[in-house]
Amino acid sequence: MEVEIRMEEGRKEPKVIILTGEETEEVRRLVEQLQELRLDPVPVRRQEERLLLPQEAFLRFYTDGKGVSAQTDTETFAVPLRLYELEERLDKSRFARISNGEIINLNKVTAVDLSLSGTIRMTLEGGVYVYVSRRYVKKIKETLKAGRRRNQ
Amino acid sequence: MKGEKRPFPLRVVLGGLLGAVVAPLVVCYGWGSWIGIGEGVPVGAFGLSFLMVFRSMASAFGSAEVAAVVQSLLGALLGGVVTVATLPFAEDGKTLVRRSLFHFLATQGAFLLLILVCRWVDGWWLPLLYSALLTLLYLLIWLGRWTGWYLEVVELRELLGLDPGPTPLKWRETLPYLPLVLLMCLGVPLALRVPEYMLGKGFPALSGVYYPILVLPVVSLCVGVSLGKRRGVCPLYPAACLLCCLPMTCWLVGAFSTPPYYCLLSVIPALLGNLGGWLWRRRKGGKMP
Repeated sequence: MEVEIRMEEGRKEPKVIILTGEETEEVRRLVEQLQELRLDPVPVRRQEERLLLPQEAFLRFYTDGKGVSAQTDTETFAVPLRLYELEERLDKSRFARISNGEIINLNKVTAVDLSLSGTIRMTLEGGVYVYVSRRYVKKIKETLKAGRRRNQ
Repeated sequence: MKGEKRPFPLRVVLGGLLGAVVAPLVVCYGWGSWIGIGEGVPVGAFGLSFLMVFRSMASAFGSAEVAAVVQSLLGALLGGVVTVATLPFAEDGKTLVRRSLFHFLATQGAFLLLILVCRWVDGWWLPLLYSALLTLLYLLIWLGRWTGWYLEVVELRELLGLDPGPTPLKWRETLPYLPLVLLMCLGVPLALRVPEYMLGKGFPALSGVYYPILVLPVVSLCVGVSLGKRRGVCPLYPAACLLCCLPMTCWLVGAFSTPPYYCLLSVIPALLGNLGGWLWRRRKGGKMP
């Protein structure tokens, strides 16, 4: 399959056109996978300043009582969205909900540990610890397996 | 999770009904069997020939009918408590431990109440034995659940492309220390026996007193600290110390009728050292066991 990238000035969102002789099962799968991709940047606030940051910059999104916050390697921002709205906007192959109040970037996980009391702790890049609710383990595994299938 | 929102009052009612029915059946079919229950002979109640309560309980409550009702109520209590056994496992961490402990105490209480009030067992050691068996069952269920979670974590690590992590009970991590354990618990005492044997018969002061009291605890402690600092809690290390010290302990006890504390001189420092090393590691790196 040939892949070609054309740069277009002023374009904010990428557009993919598939040129094919016939609509095969593979082409349909490719379309499905492309539609699942969520590449939009995430709107965040740093005090009064409004920013759009790429998804891969984030370690995690979490609720902290006041609202939703987003943590990157270097700083934490406020997010003007609810967690479930974020969940819909984020790339499903990269981000997964690990508890009622937290979504993490699975590409940033560096370790997974289990304590004697059954608590699952994930370590993210930069030594950030997050705790996984066992209720979400099945869903995380499904996300990871789906990602693996896509890469095969 | 949806499974957690199952109507547990319904479960309690069903479990209670089952417990109420099973209690008289246990009396009828368990009496005189291998499970060893029964204080006296069971009697019927409500004009039935079905032997549902023990005579001693019937005497204590004034009539077989009242005793049968009390027995079924206590059976229902135990049945109800047992049916919610899976609920604590829906939670995480401290909540899980707290709820499990609470459920364990409730189960033990209901169980002891049933077997003692209904005169299912007499004496003091049979209730203790059944209570210990229930505790063992609880521990086994816990271990089973923990193993399940452990396998889930292993799968997560694999899917994330991470290092597979420690082996169960850290057996592979402990393995490099095994030659050292063999040497300190078995090799050195046996080597010390050679000059003792050559010097003549009598109590082996080197292998039986000086080495186990002055050297073995210190070495076991230091090795434990080293292992704890590098690998965290490794329960197989003190277990290996115990196993490797057994031949020497048996020999000393058999030959000189000394108390069998030789093992403890290695096991306790090994355990303390390992825990100390693990605490040091936690303080330094904030790592999980």
